Amino acid sequence: MEVGRLPISAALKGKLVSAGYTSLSLLSSLSPSHLARDLNISENEALDILKHAPLDGRIDTSSGHHVINGAQTAWDMLHEEELLTRITTSSVDIDNILGGGISCREVTEIGGVPGIGKTQLGIQLAVNVQLPVHCGGLGGKAIYIDTEGSFMVERVLQIAEACRDDMSANNALSQNVHAGQVGMQPKDFLENILYFRVCSYAEQIALINYLDKFMSEHKDVKIIIIDSITFHFRQDFEDMALRTRLLSGMALKLMKLAKKFCLAVVLLNQVTTKFAEGSFQLTLALGDSWSHACTNRIILYWNGNERYAYIDKSPSLRSASAPYAVTARGIRNNVSNCKRIKLM
Amino acid sequence: MSESLSRRCCQTMTPENLLVRPRPTQKCTTGCPVLDRCLGGGIPCRSVTEVVGESGCGKTQLCLQLLLSAQLPPSRGGLSASSLYLHSEFPLPLRRLHQLSRARPFGPGHDPLEGIFVHPLQSVDHLLDVMPKVESFVENFKSQFPVRLIVIDSIAALFRSEFDNNPLDLRRRSSMFFKISGKLKLLAEKFDLAVVVTNQVVDLVAPNEGINGLRIGNLGCLVSSGRRVCAALGLAWANCVNLRLFLSRDKEIVSTMNGVGDECGCEPMHCRTRRRLHLLFAPHIPDTSCEYVITREGFSGVCR
Repeated sequence: MEVGRLPISAALKGKLVSAGYTSLSLLSSLSPSHLARDLNISENEALDILKHAPLDGRIDTSSGHHVINGAQTAWDMLHEEELLTRITTSSVDIDNILGGGISCREVTEIGGVPGIGKTQLGIQLAVNVQLPVHCGGLGGKAIYIDTEGSFMVERVLQIAEACRDDMSANNALSQNVHAGQVGMQPKDFLENILYFRVCSYAEQIALINYLDKFMSEHKDVKIIIIDSITFHFRQDFEDMALRTRLLSGMALKLMKLAKKFCLAVVLLNQVTTKFAEGSFQLTLALGDSWSHACTNRIILYWNGNERYAYIDKSPSLRSASAPYAVTARGIRNNVSNCKRIKLM
Repeated sequence: MSESLSRRCCQTMTPENLLVRPRPTQKCTTGCPVLDRCLGGGIPCRSVTEVVGESGCGKTQLCLQLLLSAQLPPSRGGLSASSLYLHSEFPLPLRRLHQLSRARPFGPGHDPLEGIFVHPLQSVDHLLDVMPKVESFVENFKSQFPVRLIVIDSIAALFRSEFDNNPLDLRRRSSMFFKISGKLKLLAEKFDLAVVVTNQVVDLVAPNEGINGLRIGNLGCLVSSGRRVCAALGLAWANCVNLRLFLSRDKEIVSTMNGVGDECGCEPMHCRTRRRLHLLFAPHIPDTSCEYVITREGFSGVCR
C-alpha cells in the first residue's frame, strides 16, 4: 500500500486507509481542508500529509508512472505513432499523399462539391477499416452517422463485394491463406457497419455525447464517419455564436474520442462560396473557427474531368494533391482504364 | 417494414434509437423500363431527388408519370401508394394526367386520380407553414394506399421570386434551403417515402468553368437548347438534394430526303427535338445519360 511509505505517524496512516486513501494519486488533487474533513483531523495535520504526498509521487515517476494522469513524453508518443496503422482509401495515389491512409487518433475532415464523391469515400472507408491489417485495414468495425440520407445499402454491398474480390486476389498472390481462414463475405461487411440516422442537430449532438459510452461497450469500432457534419448546422441558426459554441464543443468531444479509443474520425463537409480579396472562392462550410477543429483537412475538387484530392491542412504532411476515380468498385486510382469502367 | 417504422415512431427519442439497421432502399418505378435501368430501378425512397431542366423539357411530365406509377403494386415496380403534389408554378394539368392514366393498365374500379392529393404553394413561408400539415396528413392518412410520394413542382419558382441578390438575402435564402431540405428528409425517413422536387436552370456566363470557377457535378454535359446552363439556386441548394437529374433538349435538323438536296436548292427539312436525361450525381449509381421522348402515352426512354 502506497500510503504506508509516507513518513507520517501510524495513526494518521490508519485514518488515511480507513477513509479509502490507499494510493498517492488520490491525494494529489486534494485541498488540506477537504482532507481534514474527510479524516476528521486538524488542518495542520492534513497539510503535513499533503506536503509529503506529492514528493513521494514524484519519486514514483522515475519508475515509469506519470506526474499527471494521461501525460506522456514526446518520446513515448513517437513510439506510439510508429505503431499506428492507417486505413487505406483504396486509391494508391491518395494513400501516398496521406502517408499511407487515414490515420487513427486524428480527426480528418473531407470536403467537396456535391457529386465529387465524399459519400463514396466515406462508404469506402467504412468497408476498408474491416480489412485485416496486411490488406490496409484495422480489422475493426465502423460507425456511420448519416445526416443527409445518402447512405445506400446497395452501393455498400457493391463496394464490399469488390473489396472481398480484391482481398481474395491478394491472398491468392501471396499464398498466405490459412486452411481454416474463411474470407469475409459482403454480408459481414454490412454487419460491421453501425449505422445511425440523424434527423436534427439536437439528435446529432446527443449522439456524439453518447458515443463515449457506446464506444466503451464497443471497443472494436475503429472509425467514426459523419456524413455530413454540416447539414443540420446550416439551417435555421439565428444565433451564430451559439452555433460556433455547439460546433466547437462537438469537435472537442470527437477529438477526445479519437485519442481515447485510438480510432479515426472522418468528418465529411460541404463547400460554400466565400467572398475574399474581390472574388468568390470555394471554402469548406461552417466558417473560419471550425477550420481549427480538425487535425487534417482534405479538399476534393474537379480538375477538368478528373477528380483530385488536395491536402489543405495537416500538421505532419506536406500539402499535395492526387487524382482519384470513383468507379463501380469504389474509390480507385485514376488510370486510363478506369474511364472504361465509368462508362459502363 | 411498417412494423419497424411504427416501433421507431412510438419510442421516446434516445441516442440508442438512432442506431438502425440500414434498410435496402425501395424504388418507385418511373413507368418506363429504359429509364428505370438508367436510374438503378427508379426514384429511391428516403431520398430527395431533384429534376432540373429548362422550361418545356418535360419536368412536369416526369412528375405526373411518377404520381401515377407510385400507385402501381410493388410487383410492378410501384409503391402501391398515394401521392401528394405541391405546385407553385401552374396548377396540376388535370387533362394531361387523365390522358396519361388512361394509357396505364390500371384495373377497373381503381381510379388513379383518387390517389393524388394536390395543394398550391404561394411562397417559401407558405411552404414552411404547410410542412407540419403535410406531416400530420401523411401520418393520419389511413388507407390501403398510404402517401409514399411527395412532389414539389417547382422549388425554384418559390425562391426565385422572393429573394434579392444581396448578401443578407442570400444568407437567409440558403438557411431556408437547409431548413426545407431538413424537413423533407425527415419526412422521407420517417414515412419511407420518395421526395421529388423540380428546379429551373440559369445560364452560365463564365467562359469555361462554372460560376466563379466552381463546378458542381459534371458540368460538361449541361447544354440545353445550345445554351450552357446550370441548375438554379446555387451551390447551397445542391448540397440539399441526394440525387440530381438533368433534362436537356436540343433541336436537331433532319433532312427527310436522306441528305439529297432539291433542285432548287431548298432542302425539305424539319426540326426534331432530341431530349436527354442525365444523372448528374447520385450516391448509389454512376453518372449516366439516356435519351427520352415525350409522347401521348407519357415520358419514356429510348434504347440506342
